[in-house]
Amino acid sequence: MDAKFAKISPFQVDPDKIPPLTDEDFAPAAENEKEAMVEKHKSVSYWRDAWRRFRANTVSMVALGIFILCLLFAFVGPLLIPYGYGDQYRASQKLAPMEFSKGEEKIASITGNCDAFFATALRPGSITALSKGDYYINYKGTTYAFTLTKALEKSVIVLDLDAEDPLVIVKESDIKDGTWKKSTPIEFTDTPAEEAAEIKLVTRVFPHVFGTDSAGRDLMARTMYGTRVSIIIGIVAALIVLIIGSIYGAVSGLAGGAVDFVMMRIVELIYSIPEVLIVLLLQVVLKDPLQAWFDSGTSAFAKAMGDLGSGIVSIFITFALLFWVTMARIVRGQVLMLKQQEYVTAATALGANNGRIIRRHLLPNCVGQLVITTCLQIPSAIFLESFLSFLGLGVSAPMASLGSLCSDAIETLSIYPYRLIFPGIILTIVVLTLNLVGDGLRDALDPRLKR
Amino acid sequence: MAGYIIKRIAVAILTLLVIMCITFLLMNAVPGSPFLTEKSTPEQIARANAKYGLDKPLYVQLFNYIKNYLKGDLGTSLKMQEGTAVSKIIFHQGKFRLSIKLGVYALLLAIIIGIPLGCIAAYNRGKWIDGFLRVLTTVGVAIPTFVLATLLLVSFAVKLKWLPTLSSSLTSFKSYIMPVVALSFYYTCYIAKLTRTSMLDAINQDYIRTARAKGVKTRSLILKHALRNSLIPVITYLGPVLAGIITGSFVIESTFSIPGLGRYYIQSVLTRDYPVIMATTVVLSALVIFMNLVVDIAYKIVDPRITLTGKED
Repeated sequence: MDAKFAKISPFQVDPDKIPPLTDEDFAPAAENEKEAMVEKHKSVSYWRDAWRRFRANTVSMVALGIFILCLLFAFVGPLLIPYGYGDQYRASQKLAPMEFSKGEEKIASITGNCDAFFATALRPGSITALSKGDYYINYKGTTYAFTLTKALEKSVIVLDLDAEDPLVIVKESDIKDGTWKKSTPIEFTDTPAEEAAEIKLVTRVFPHVFGTDSAGRDLMARTMYGTRVSIIIGIVAALIVLIIGSIYGAVSGLAGGAVDFVMMRIVELIYSIPEVLIVLLLQVVLKDPLQAWFDSGTSAFAKAMGDLGSGIVSIFITFALLFWVTMARIVRGQVLMLKQQEYVTAATALGANNGRIIRRHLLPNCVGQLVITTCLQIPSAIFLESFLSFLGLGVSAPMASLGSLCSDAIETLSIYPYRLIFPGIILTIVVLTLNLVGDGLRDALDPRLKR
Repeated sequence: MAGYIIKRIAVAILTLLVIMCITFLLMNAVPGSPFLTEKSTPEQIARANAKYGLDKPLYVQLFNYIKNYLKGDLGTSLKMQEGTAVSKIIFHQGKFRLSIKLGVYALLLAIIIGIPLGCIAAYNRGKWIDGFLRVLTTVGVAIPTFVLATLLLVSFAVKLKWLPTLSSSLTSFKSYIMPVVALSFYYTCYIAKLTRTSMLDAINQDYIRTARAKGVKTRSLILKHALRNSLIPVITYLGPVLAGIITGSFVIESTFSIPGLGRYYIQSVLTRDYPVIMATTVVLSALVIFMNLVVDIAYKIVDPRITLTGKED
């Protein structure tokens, strides 16, 4: 087929040489012939094209890989280690990396009905079921230590949740003659310990890979949690900036004239305010009103915000108030440029309304720019959050972010430098990989900007 | 040119006024009073409020602030150094000078190291030194200032004991090293990256090819022809650098316990010392705004092609 058409070029028309058309030429194309045509002319979509360019960029691909590892560390990691970010292990404070306290080697992990366990299992007599030695019982996130000696066989270990130290060892005789009274009387049942709860003695526990802090909290769990908080703050802040900035910029660019003039003067004004001064002030100002709102709020929104804490919410508010201006400028610039393209004029001439022009022509053409700017906004938001947390204003304990972990490490820096180094390195890696991914995205999505 | 400068100064003053209003509103949005302590009675608070004019309506207070600032009176401290004039605290107790010195040294270091590094990288494009500098600067812009500052502190002051731990008054040359390096590192790396990029852009221009064709040596080609033209993005960036150095100085000053303006600002915010908050905000903002103005004018000198009035977009 191809050979036949190639011969009929308009420049060398020689009617005699055109082979006569036969019936065969008018036969419908076979299925495989159609497929070959489709295959040949398969259009490469914008995103597929960008992804191909991105994949060819080794540095960005490696950075993306490392960033995904960071994400796994932050979001999947906590499921794999037996420690929580707020759990305090009394016997294992100030441990160095990869260590675990002696006591934790004999941690008794009790699952099942723990209250029943304490009420029944360790009642007189049943205690002999356990061998002598040091025991650490992890109950609801707190580890309690007790030493089982011969003398204690005549004692009861009771759980008194009203007492300061909930795990009390009381002599059997004191209970009998009424010397010791518990606020809520224990109801001894005859259920054997093994039935009430499953007692498992673990001989070797998971080490504290990053060590523990002065309150006995596992630092790796805290770092994982902090990475998660930092990344989420970065992404949410970037999205806030994206939404406010792009709407503002698009409206300004599309409206033009006096509206544009006034809107851009506002942007310039905000742009020239040294934002950090206002940010610090905002953090302090918003603290009490936000807390009051959380406490009074019954709506689900207020509750969800209350879970985040006033520090994080005020970081979001700060971004919504001050940091959208760069995005607004970029979007306005794009809109102004795209507005003058011929295809927009053509669309207008064909009677397309503003909404259609925005949806079909402007948005798809500046989406690359939006993705790039948003992606590069994330590390800068993480930077700002860590800066605020470092100064003691952002996230507060027991919550953690990479910045607040670094800040916590400062006091004991000369003795335990690794407490700063681990979160510091992870913060650097997250920011570095995001920067590199952003650069790669810029090269891939907007080849005109390639440097 | 003169008209443009006058216009910019007017805008700068307007911006400062807006900043004053925002700061004032934010300060007063905090519930409670700066005089509220466990011991104070309502009468005492009322008396203190009356003494400092805090009982007047808000717009009167704001108006008084602006009026006094125009007269050059920054008010008196309410809490941190009660009764002392704020201008005295900022300007005569060495705080302003300390912060300015720190900032200027950091800025100079960033320029003096960053621009040559960028030139070296562009000059040796593709060679190992370019690769090394690229890695260094890319990692450099990802290290938070406080991590770098504390690592420097631990390694050089605590472990190696080469440099003093407490830089509090910044008396000796040695005490400046760590704060200035920590403060300027990010910007050094950024300026080096920026210089490299714009230098490579400049090298591809026609006039460079012409000069090369005329037999100009590569070294002087870079230093005389390319550098001048590649400095424009760097100069544009100096405004944000200054704002960033002020931000960084908050962290640096608290890490190295330097009693500068940044640390004082944080303290004043935390203790809610209204006049001090206002004065520090205005002074620091004025500094940043003034620097941006200088940068815009410096543009014109480096590149006469730029028309100042049309640069708004």
